[in-house]
This record gives sequence, C-alpha cells and structure tokens, in this order.
Amino acid sequence: MARAKTAAQDFSWRQFCVMLRVIRKGEQHLDQTGMGLGGDEAGERRGGLWGRLGAGARTAAMGLLFLLVAAMFFMMGYMIGELGTTPYATFSLCVVCLVGLTVLTGLYQAVNILYFVRDLGYYLTLPVSATTIMWAKLTHFLGMSLLGDLIVLPVGLGCLLATGASPLAWVTMTLAFVLCAVAVNLALVIVCVPVMRFSRLAHDKDRFSRVFGAVVIVFALAVGVGSQFALRGDGLASLAAGSSDLLSGGVPAVVMGLICPPSLLARPVVAGGALEAAAGLLGMAATVAVYAVLLSVVARRWYFEGVQALQGAGGRRGRRVEGAELRRATRTRGAFAANLSRDWKTLVRVPVFFNQFVLSSLLMPLYFIVIMVVGGAMGVSQASEAGLDPATLLEMARSLAALLTLDSPALAWCAVGVLVFGLFLGFSSYSFTMGVSRDGEDFFFMRGLPMDWGAYLAAKFVVPFALSTVPMLVLIVAALALLAVPVASGAYLVAVYLGATVSLGLLSLGVGALFPRLSWDNEAQLVKGGGATLMVFAGLVVGAVVMALPALALLAGALWQVLAVPAALALALAVFVAECAGLAWWVLGPCARSLSRRER
Amino acid sequence: MIRIDHVSKSYDGGATCAVRDLTLEIRSGEIFGLLGPNGAGKSTLLNMLAGVLAPTSGTIELDGVNVAADPLAAKRNLCYVSDSPDHLLRLKGHEFLRFIADVYEVPEDVRAQRIAELAREYGMEGELDNQIQSYSHGMRQKMMIMGALLPDPATWILDEPMTGLDPKASWLLKQSMRRHADAGKTVLFSTHVLDVAEKVVDRVGVIAHGELLFVGTVDEMREHFRMGGSLEEMFLELTSDESPLAAGENA
Repeated sequence: MARAKTAAQDFSWRQFCVMLRVIRKGEQHLDQTGMGLGGDEAGERRGGLWGRLGAGARTAAMGLLFLLVAAMFFMMGYMIGELGTTPYATFSLCVVCLVGLTVLTGLYQAVNILYFVRDLGYYLTLPVSATTIMWAKLTHFLGMSLLGDLIVLPVGLGCLLATGASPLAWVTMTLAFVLCAVAVNLALVIVCVPVMRFSRLAHDKDRFSRVFGAVVIVFALAVGVGSQFALRGDGLASLAAGSSDLLSGGVPAVVMGLICPPSLLARPVVAGGALEAAAGLLGMAATVAVYAVLLSVVARRWYFEGVQALQGAGGRRGRRVEGAELRRATRTRGAFAANLSRDWKTLVRVPVFFNQFVLSSLLMPLYFIVIMVVGGAMGVSQASEAGLDPATLLEMARSLAALLTLDSPALAWCAVGVLVFGLFLGFSSYSFTMGVSRDGEDFFFMRGLPMDWGAYLAAKFVVPFALSTVPMLVLIVAALALLAVPVASGAYLVAVYLGATVSLGLLSLGVGALFPRLSWDNEAQLVKGGGATLMVFAGLVVGAVVMALPALALLAGALWQVLAVPAALALALAVFVAECAGLAWWVLGPCARSLSRRER
Repeated sequence: MIRIDHVSKSYDGGATCAVRDLTLEIRSGEIFGLLGPNGAGKSTLLNMLAGVLAPTSGTIELDGVNVAADPLAAKRNLCYVSDSPDHLLRLKGHEFLRFIADVYEVPEDVRAQRIAELAREYGMEGELDNQIQSYSHGMRQKMMIMGALLPDPATWILDEPMTGLDPKASWLLKQSMRRHADAGKTVLFSTHVLDVAEKVVDRVGVIAHGELLFVGTVDEMREHFRMGGSLEEMFLELTSDESPLAAGENA
C-alpha cells in the first residue's frame, strides 16, 4: 500500500507536458474576485465586439496596452535616473513594488490558479500523480505571474538609460529581476499550500474571494491616493531611496530576504563589477533553487490534501422558513421591486461583482475624501507657514464662493469643472454597461418568463446609480455647504452633476443592453481581460458624447461669450434634461424591446 | 392548446436548420411527449414555444395567442422548465419562488400557501433558506419545477423534467402532470427516457434532424410498425439513419 502511494506521487515528465498543455489551453478558473490573472477569457464563448476581434487582434491589443504601460514605467525610471537616483536604488524600488504587489494580489492569484479550478475535481480521477499535476499547475502559474511582473522592470531599465549604463548592466538587471520574481512567487506558493490545507477561510470560496478582493481593491485605491502625492516633486526618488534602505539591513531586510531571498544579493549584481555581478546572479539562482526544492517538499505533502479538502467543502445549511415567516418572506412586489431585489442580491452575493461594482464604488468617495483631506492639510500647513490660519483660509474660500451667482462666468466654469468630473466618472460607467451582461445565462431563463423588460432595465439603472452617484452627490453637497455657495448656484451645480451622471448612466446602460456579453462561464470573465478594459475606456467616449453639447453651451457663455451667462447655464441644463428624457425613452423602449427578442 | 404551424428555425443565415417546417397540434387535456435523440431539435422547439427563441418562419399559438405577436400574454399562460436547472443560483429558495410569483403576479393570499405545499411535496421545506447554488442537481431541478408549478398556468412546457429527480419527486411530477391534463389543460414535455414517455403520455411525437417523424399514441405507433416491441425498439428503428422517415418522409 505504501509502495503504491509512493509510486503514485512520482513525477512523470510526459504527463507533466500533457497536463501543462491541457491547463494552458482549456482550464476554467473559478476566480471569484475578478483579480485573478488572465486566461479565463479563453473559456468565454466568443461574443460581442471583443470576441469577434479574433485571437490575433486581441493579443495585439493587449500587447499594445502592455507596451503602453511599460513605456510609461520606462519614462518614470528615466526621470528618476535624471534626478540622480542610482540604478541600485531604482532596482530596489522595482523589487519592493514586485514584492508588495505579489504579497497583496499574488496569494489570491496563486489560490485561484492552483485550487479554484473547476477541472481540478476531474484531475483527481485521472491516473496522474499529485506531484505532476502540482508542477504543471505551478509552471502555468509562474509563467503567467512572470508576464505580469515584468511590467515593473522598465522602471529600472529607464534609470539605466538615464545613467548611461553598459548593455551588460541591462542584461544583469533583467536576469536579477526575473530571478527575484520567480523567488517571490515560489515563496508565495510555499505559504499558500499549507494555508489551503489547513485554513477554514480558504475552503469557503465566497468568503475567501471577498476578503482578498476587498484587500486588493483597498490596496488599489491606496496606490491611487498615494500616487497623487508620490508623483509630485521628488516623491519617486524618495521612494527609491526608501526602498534601497529597506534592503540594507534590519528587520525589513530579513522580511524581504524571506519573501524574496535574491533581493539581498541585488547590490553586487546591479552596482558591482562584472565578476561581482556574475557571483551575485549565481547566488540568486541558488536561492531560487533552494525555494523550488522546499516548495516541492511542501507541495508533495499538502497540495493534494488541500485540493481534496476543497472538493469536500460543502455549503452551509439555513433555517427552516415556514408559516408566518414564509408569508412575510414572499410578500407581493411589483416587477421593478422584484427585479431590483434580485439584482441587488446577486450583486452583493457574487464576490466578483461585489468587489468590482459595490466595494469599489463605495470606496471611490473615500478616495476623494482622502485626497481632499491630505491636500487640504498640506495647503493649510503651507498657509500656516505664510502666516494664515485655517479659519482665515476658509473665510477666503467662502468669499470667493459667494461670487458664484447665476450670472457669473465663474459658475459656468464651475459647471464645466463638474462636467470634467462627470467625464472622469465615465471610467466607472461600465457598472451600468455591464448591468445586463451580469445576468449571463440567467438572462435566458428570464426570457422564458413574462418579464417586464422596462422594469428590468429600470432596476438595472438604480443599483449602480445609487452606488456610484449618490455617495459622490453627498460629498458635493457637503463641499458646497462648507464653502457656503449660494443656494441657487449650488442647486444648479447639483443639477448639472445629476444631469451628467444620469445621462451617462442611461447611455451606458442602453449600450450594454443592446450589446450584452451573456456567454460567460464565470463572473470574472466579465470584469477582467481585454474586453473589460476596452469597456472601461469606452465609458470615457460615452461620457464625452453626453457631455459635449452641455459643455459647448457652457463654454459659449464662459469662454466665447456668444451667449449671456444665464442663457448658457439654462441651455446647458435644458440640454441635459432633454438628453435624460430622450435616453430614458430609448432605454425603456427600444432597448427593452431588444432584450425581449434577444436570443443566444 | 398548442398550435404549431409550419415552424422552422435556422441559424447562421440558414446554414444550420434546427427545426424544419414542423406542424403539430397539441390538444387541451392531454400530455404530449416529445421524443428524439440528442440534437434532434426538441429543446429548440420548446424554446420557441416558450418565447425564448423566435421561429425563422411559421407561427406558434398557445390557447389562441400568437407567441411572436404577444409574447407577454402567451408567457403568462405557460410555464417552462428548461433542460438546465442552474439559474439564479445566488438567490435563496424562497427568494427565487418570490421572484417567480412576483413576475407571474401570483396573488398574495395564494403564494405562501402554495409555496409551502410545493416545498412539502418535493421535500424542500428545509432548503428554502439556502442559496440555490448550495443545492444538488436534483434539488435545483426540484426548485425549477416548483417555480414552474407555482403560478399554475394553463400550459406546461417541460424540457427533460425528470432529469436528476429522485423517484418520489419524479412520481409526484408525473401525478401533477396527469392532474393538470385531466383538468383540461396542456402538458408538453420532452424526454430521452422512453419508459417515462410510455407510461405518462397520451400522445407522442418523435423528432429527429429537426423534423417530426411520427405523431400518435403509443398504440398507434405499435400498429404503424406492426410489431409488439417496446417503445425503445420502435424509437431506435424510427430514428436510425436507415429509417425511410428519417430520410425526409414525414409520418
């Protein structure tokens, strides 16, 4: 029996190749946060504009996007180098970013690829050893992770260009970074395997996905807020200096050494001579090999046990609902309320949708509050140095706000500012666009019901509107009240904001209803990958479409002065009202009818 | 009553024909079983009856209502159980049934009592507070059937309804179908399980390659083939590639 068990765990190169090919080509992940790595999209039955592009065009589009971001990072590195930062400090920044990103998002990605796979239950029935399956999946994971991690490297390479380093330095830095990336991913999986074997949280996919999704969203917003300040002045150079200090010694260096051992040998590789660099690279490779062996031992012991534990994890049982409670729970509602309730429950219960559409929408106002508070605090501190106290500053701001009357060009400019802000919100309008697509195959179930499609779309509008527009509206009203903007002018700005967001939401919802993506196998396919990225940028175009005419009307009063300011303000608002009315008719009429006829 | 008049459904601009010029009348008060091998066009036909797919040509009427012209009125008088029970998985059982009751406008005073009855009959009382995604395949199928029966419309259209059901639930469903038909209403269901068809249906239709090959009672089918064999044997003969009917000759 023991012999058979040992033999079953033997690694087979032939089976490894077969498994890797299958995993690369056709595996379905149960990514429930939408934060996992790409690859699920291959499982989506092709549909919509993105699906019809063809594999080559899709790869080219994604490659272009990757190159654009890489070029941006390269320029950032070049700027750091120009500021006098050393290549070692810049490389340290890259490694710290790599470790930070991997620790925060990588654990979930590793779990998603190694464990949350629909086909894993089937693999368990095949005569393939656990070690072989684990290494095939691990190789797949490392390959995909490395592709993503490489996006950080151009920062270091940009610095090398700025400092005029030799071609050899480019090669050594690249090799060192790749080794660091492999090591940190191996370290991650070494932690991940026992966590998945013994953690109860990890066995509840929904809770696990929700927790990690929340962490990632909060982290992304924190990076967004931080970048507002880091990208000013010498913020990046300071970050680079801080990163090199982190690797220099003390507890942080020990932690970094555990997560990414090669990073401790980075100084001789990046800053030393040729011989030192070669020795350093060899040392890095040796640490990677040690981690690979360690992982092999850990995975041999616990990977399959973790997989089996996950397969056996069942759902929780609820209470018995009967009698008066059942009557209460099944009270009559109208079609709109029924659809709203169903849509809301799905939105909050599917981790991907909760993270992408609920949590991020709710955190967005927080993002602005933090920026405003930190920006305000910096302004106050600068003003204090100039001898102005906060009360005086507020008084000055209020006296300026008092000038915002209905005949002042300043109000028209403020309204233009609100439109620009609305355009920015276009990035999040994909929560409207995805409204119908979120239903996937359920949509066709509802097609068999006597559904009121107008009520269905109205419910689809209300949820993202309440999540994205209302919190920002509260913020705007609070800011207007704080600055004591005249009531009529404040009401006008609020009306413009509502006009912009309602028309943007309606147009996005209508476009999403006419071109829904319903053929997905898991929710993550909707919110990540090229199709979703394009959808986010398409939101900007939609925003520009609905805001163009009102913006022209406002500029006609404020900039070109071909209209009196009150007339320009009134015209802009009238255009918004007309747009909202027209779009509401379009959504509830033709778009709803198109849904009532939609087929697979 | 269901009246299907020269209905065809094709895809890819006519390159793929799932249902070909099909004409059929299913009378009120009968259980009609639709038999056919995989890919025969059964689900496509039932989807067209339920208004999920539009016919490429021809008309479908349910109790005199044209499904294409007035889909909402037609759907209010039918319930449809599709061949997959994996719908609205994130809703709890009672939330799903409430949603269905709201959409069909089931009266307030009827719905809770009927939900309780259905839950008791199908052994789902203890499951109503759980999300459907936690149910087994058979429990999901029961939930879909409960959702279909809750509004109790005149016409039932059921696509492979017995799949995954335990013997008791399967028996219950057959009883419900019989009661429904005896009350002068219509039941149309598709199945692969010929034993089920043989025991339950009043009339049977055999479909293959999108064409209706035979319509009649099981006894008429036996007479047609002049053999005392089982329905299974007749079905295999009828739908085989060698069958003259399968080659295009209508029954």
